[in-house]
Amino acid sequence: MAVRFELIMFNETVINEINGIRKKYPDRRSALLPSLYIAQREFGWLSLKAMSCVAKALNLPEADVRGTASFYSMFKHNPVGRNVIQLCTNVSCMILGAEKLVDFLKSKYGVHPNGTSEDGRFSLVIMECIGACGTAPAMLVNTDFHDELSESRIEEILEKYK
Amino acid sequence: MENFLLKNIDNPNSADIAEYEQAGGYKNLSKALGIKPKDVLDEVKASGLRGRGGAGFPTGMKWTFATADPKFPKYLMCNADEGEPGTFKDRPILEKNPHLLIEGMAISGYALGAEYGHIYLRGEYPEAGDILNSAINQANEKNYLGENILGKGIKFKLSVHMGAGAYICGEETALIESIEGKKGQPRNKPPFPVNVGAWGMPTIVNNVETLSNVPYIIEIGGENYAKIGSSECPGPKLFSVSGCVNKPGVYELPMGTTLQDIIYNHAGGMRNGKKLKAVIPGGISTPVLPADAIDCAMDFVAMPKAGSMLGSGAVIVMDEDVCMVKVTYRALKFFEHESCGKCVPCREGTDWLRKILERIENGKGTQGDIELLSDVAGIMSGKTFCPLGDGAAGVVMGMIKHFRSEFEEHIKEGKCTF
Amino acid sequence: MITLTINNKEISLEQPMTVLEASRQAGIKIPTLCYFEALKPYGGCRLCVVEVERMPRLQTACTLMVADGMVIQTESDTISEVRRGILEFLLINHPLDCPYCDKAGECELQDLVNKYGPAVGRHKEEKRKVPESHKDQILARNMERCVACTRCVRMCSDVQGASAISMMGRGNDTRMEPFSADSFNCEYCGNCLTVCPVGAILSRLYLHSFRPWQVDREVDTVCSYCGVGCSLTVQVRDDSIKRVIPKEGKGLNKGLLCSRGRFGYEYIGSDDRLTTPLVRKNGKLEPATWTEALEIVADKLQGIRKESGGVSIAGIASPRCSNEDNYLFQKFMRMTCGTNNIDSISRTGYGAAQKYFEDLLGQGITSNLIDGLKNSEAIVVLGGDPTSINPILGLSIREAARRGAQIAVIGNAKGLERFKTLQITAPVFEEAAVLESLLAQVFASKGERGEHAFLDRGIADMAAGTSTVSDVKGLDDLKKILLESPSTSIVFGTDLVQRSDGHRSLFAVSGLTYLLEARLYLLSEKANEQGVIDAGCVPDMLPGGRPLHIEDFKKKFEMLWKDSLPDFKGKTLMEIIEGARTGDIKALYIMGENPVFNLPDAKYVKEALDSLDFLVVQDIFLSETAELADVVLPALGWAERTGTVTNLERRIQVQKKAVETSAGMEDWRIISEISGKMGYKMEYKDSEDIMDELAQVSPLYRDLTYKEIDRGKSIWPYHGEPLRGAEISEIPAGEEVQSGNGADYYLAVDRPLFHSGTLSRRSPALTKIMPEPVLRISAASAEKLGLTDGDRVNVTTSAGSSETVVVVDDSITDNRVYMGNNFKDRGACRLLNFRLDSVTKAPGIEGCGVTIEKR
Ligand SMILES: Cc1cc2nc3c(=O)[nH]c(=O)nc-3n(C[C@H](O)[C@H](O)[C@H](O)COP(=O)(O)O)c2cc1C
Ligand code: SF4
Ligand code: FES
Repeated sequence: MAVRFELIMFNETVINEINGIRKKYPDRRSALLPSLYIAQREFGWLSLKAMSCVAKALNLPEADVRGTASFYSMFKHNPVGRNVIQLCTNVSCMILGAEKLVDFLKSKYGVHPNGTSEDGRFSLVIMECIGACGTAPAMLVNTDFHDELSESRIEEILEKYK
Repeated sequence: MENFLLKNIDNPNSADIAEYEQAGGYKNLSKALGIKPKDVLDEVKASGLRGRGGAGFPTGMKWTFATADPKFPKYLMCNADEGEPGTFKDRPILEKNPHLLIEGMAISGYALGAEYGHIYLRGEYPEAGDILNSAINQANEKNYLGENILGKGIKFKLSVHMGAGAYICGEETALIESIEGKKGQPRNKPPFPVNVGAWGMPTIVNNVETLSNVPYIIEIGGENYAKIGSSECPGPKLFSVSGCVNKPGVYELPMGTTLQDIIYNHAGGMRNGKKLKAVIPGGISTPVLPADAIDCAMDFVAMPKAGSMLGSGAVIVMDEDVCMVKVTYRALKFFEHESCGKCVPCREGTDWLRKILERIENGKGTQGDIELLSDVAGIMSGKTFCPLGDGAAGVVMGMIKHFRSEFEEHIKEGKCTF
Repeated sequence: MITLTINNKEISLEQPMTVLEASRQAGIKIPTLCYFEALKPYGGCRLCVVEVERMPRLQTACTLMVADGMVIQTESDTISEVRRGILEFLLINHPLDCPYCDKAGECELQDLVNKYGPAVGRHKEEKRKVPESHKDQILARNMERCVACTRCVRMCSDVQGASAISMMGRGNDTRMEPFSADSFNCEYCGNCLTVCPVGAILSRLYLHSFRPWQVDREVDTVCSYCGVGCSLTVQVRDDSIKRVIPKEGKGLNKGLLCSRGRFGYEYIGSDDRLTTPLVRKNGKLEPATWTEALEIVADKLQGIRKESGGVSIAGIASPRCSNEDNYLFQKFMRMTCGTNNIDSISRTGYGAAQKYFEDLLGQGITSNLIDGLKNSEAIVVLGGDPTSINPILGLSIREAARRGAQIAVIGNAKGLERFKTLQITAPVFEEAAVLESLLAQVFASKGERGEHAFLDRGIADMAAGTSTVSDVKGLDDLKKILLESPSTSIVFGTDLVQRSDGHRSLFAVSGLTYLLEARLYLLSEKANEQGVIDAGCVPDMLPGGRPLHIEDFKKKFEMLWKDSLPDFKGKTLMEIIEGARTGDIKALYIMGENPVFNLPDAKYVKEALDSLDFLVVQDIFLSETAELADVVLPALGWAERTGTVTNLERRIQVQKKAVETSAGMEDWRIISEISGKMGYKMEYKDSEDIMDELAQVSPLYRDLTYKEIDRGKSIWPYHGEPLRGAEISEIPAGEEVQSGNGADYYLAVDRPLFHSGTLSRRSPALTKIMPEPVLRISAASAEKLGLTDGDRVNVTTSAGSSETVVVVDDSITDNRVYMGNNFKDRGACRLLNFRLDSVTKAPGIEGCGVTIEKR
């Protein structure tokens, strides 16, 4: 049994972390986005289980939690690879060749937009502007920022992510 | 003009409080706390500062509305969502000069009688989040923030709230919804946030750059500030220049600098000697300008006269090789992706516009498609709940106005002509 | 005063409102789609655009507030063009499958396009394709048709408070989904069906079985389930109920319904219905003719009355039957059978509490308007979960919470989990002590109120003799809330009556009500628990709550009823059962009740009924009790007959006949026929005729007519002042009994949202939502027992054992385990032992310590 509680509940450290965040706001709902980030960190992505934990921790309705989470594109609603590449293709990056880089990622690493490479190493998300237009094209790998991309630079950078 | 907003950013330790203090930082906070909140507010009013988030609303006026509302507590929100494609001007402040923003917010909080501040930071800037958090910790330790600022019994608590990838959260009421843990869908106005904002209380939302101007106003006085740049919208302005120029980047220039000047003098002119074709002057939501229209002053008053808007001051420069249909299509993909879905004209209209543009760009356009584009944009225009949908319609209408022939060619040739 | 001009018409308004509201008031129609009256304005569809002078853009009427001097046009060429454009947008993805869509004929989008166009759309690409989801048993979801007006989501969260669905995704990808994306797993109020303007949410109960314009008739009536008495409309075709819908803004439920009211109607058309009288022959129940059956009953009762006197006859009336049925039933018992042995199941809870409260605080003390609850600043909820017992009343509590009221729950109330501000866990069997302690503390701060000397004295005495229960968390906070709140309501569920010292809790609650000048609400499980009392189906009171022992009243009734009334003290419900067991009672007439299933200790009750000489059961199903009867008489059910019921606010409403059936006879008609055969004439045309008599004899209903009731005028006190004040001058002293038996877990009777008594188990929709009994237990108990959701267990008490399924429920904070009393052979009541409360004569639940074993 205890299975249910081990799986469904956050551990105490996480609960304490969430309770700490709650103190920053006048109501419990405001802690939702930060708590979803935590759940994403703990579970890797926002599974129903992960969102159910957040709902319990904040005493919010589950559907509301999922509705809110699904509004934001940086929350993952499917399992992702070990490394998430978030590549910008908005106008400034597009002008400077971002679309070719998407093709390159497809052919070289076998990863398609909104997909994960077969070896589970990379997931690719096409981003709207990530604020690097001056040094376009640019991407985030996990939380690391990389810009002035070219095919060779991408190869060099991705070496570091296994 | 000497840089104020970007002062010191070449110093690799510019984000450290010691460096900031060394360069005279936090002196303006102490100066502001020496006078009455009302006097600080009067300085800001006198400065003629207008919001740098895009709409250009007079900051002093916004603050006056908020202070006139007797409800308490009040909240000061810094809009660091910087989502407008082409815009990356707030980022150097957030990452390289965070204490300037913190100082600006502490002064503003004092002037507004707000004891709590939140920086709504876009999720795409995780590094900036870490930098801001450690800067806030430093400022707390040194009593520039906290329960008892500089021992004067003034309280201002500041925290960072990470967004999670939604452009619409840059709209101030959507930002408030998002901080409250909801979807970022705009609220009906009135009531305005200055009266009923976050958690039902008076809330002031200002852009990063706007708030970072406040210490400068205190330093040189509102009257002197008002003399910088354009008379109706004075002050230094950050321009982020990207696209086909030699030196893309963020430039701190007086408000009212011409587009011509920005592109050719500051950003080093056109790349590879190509010809300038078009400029999107204020971020992707502002209508495009053709090459012959760039002799206009970049400020909130002159730009509408030139047929576009200053927006966030994000200049996207396009040369002769850039396909305008493709740019329009990409822009609409963005708007479709970022439409919050609340109102019909934007939710359905952006989708439809994108589909028509997609088929034109892919050579599947048919006779009448340009009229259809105009019609759809026309139905949207002025009828959407918030400016996002309006902006999308404006982009399409602007592109057709100036580059109609390119659209026609695509349809005639049955393929992209670039 | 605000003056404005709409379509050249000058309009003056007293109060600020939106332009849309002002227009509607002035009879000017503005098209809307995302707007719904009961919901906050949203402003998403943009169809309500209007032109306002001196405003540059078109404005949405649903969000714009009127201002003095405004000049507005609601129709113009520009406006029509915009509306046509927006509708064209909406049709981009909306399938044109109207011939197949259940909503056609009452679809708002269809109507709007019909009015504004366009006739053809210009969108060339494929429409969005999403298969209709039937993953939920009750609700179908068609996201191709959804126009994302969010009315369902706003209804679900802002009004119902269930928040079971949300708009998932954003932009053009937005779709409504429940959390799990398949089953709704919600409260199944179905209020989302009411608000959906298109065919995006549909009821599977009648999917593709008729078109809205094909109903033969529509009857506005009142729900048959609980003591709230919601207004609803029954739509009938070929004499079968096609669907039940609420009417927008109508009735005390204002267009809302709960799962039972909306989906629980199918029992009426059940194949299990009794269709003919049954008579026991050679030990077996055999079909018989009406004449045969009625004559047997008349002869038998007559004989027993002659032989052993009226004292040996008893009757059990029914809170499911109408006032008219119950009135005739007690008249029949008293005048025709010569007995005062009349009671109903109400004795086990509602009736017992009602009598205690009225004796102490005056008649009508619990007759407070449900709608008023939402204005309370503090609400104390105890003895049951209002959101499942009386769901629509529960909504008022949720609304109060949203308005900032303090909601204190004593015990457990799952439906208030996200709305409560305070919860107090009172240990089993010590609830009375906790309440007394609370009363003593409030008394210590407030002192005597000085209205009723005896009550002040009683409270003082009690306070002096009470030691404060100090280890109960939250009691101090509650006291503080109560002392500060300018308007307090107490919502009392009857679980606390079902203790052998239940009267102590009743006294404590009376004291709190009195000291705090609180409004008292008494939860009522069945539709006519109040009516059955007011009609006189209690041993000691005549219709209208007239005490039988007061000679004047007795005389008056004898004059009106033209014969003398029996003269002995009648037995209460459990005393009747005990009488049957000992042989004091020889004949029992049960109308619409199932004691074998609904009373504690089924074995004992069955034994008692088996000892009778003669048992008549009048019902619509062959219940567990009917199976034991000598004669079974098929009655008509709700929607098959007309009659009034009285809700927990003491509002009288008419349940109307909607379908014709040959299954049985009205309860009152059966009784009057038997009475006639026994020599006491009862001749009535119809139920209205009976009401006319009732209005004559019962001062409570003085001059009340069906007409008046239909106008909604029948709210307590019906005409003029309440009849009597506090009646007693002494606090009734009861035995102090110690019930605790030191068990690890205690069984409590659950009152699930999806079932009510045993009717609901014949409604396929409700059994789909909840197909079998569950055992709700706390997370801590589950952990200790090594159980998890879905485990099958045996629950055993000293009275028996039952198989059930575990549901772990976070709202439960103690060692109680909850099981409902709804499913055949698997009810909770039969597992319980009892001891009577010496004051209220309600059966106090005892011996409910349980062991739980995994199967
Ligand atoms: C769709 C939309 C997106 C916006 N995005 C931003 C943004 O990213 N950053 C920002 O500062 N203001 C943004 N704004 C403007 C804000 O609504 C608001 O005007 C601004 O934060 C006010 O600050 P200011 O007066 O200092 O400019 C946006 C507005 C709209 C309608
Ligand atoms: S215009 Fe409408 S749908 Fe678009 S972002 Fe604004 S509110 Fe949302
Ligand atoms: S009814 Fe006003 S916007 Fe929908």
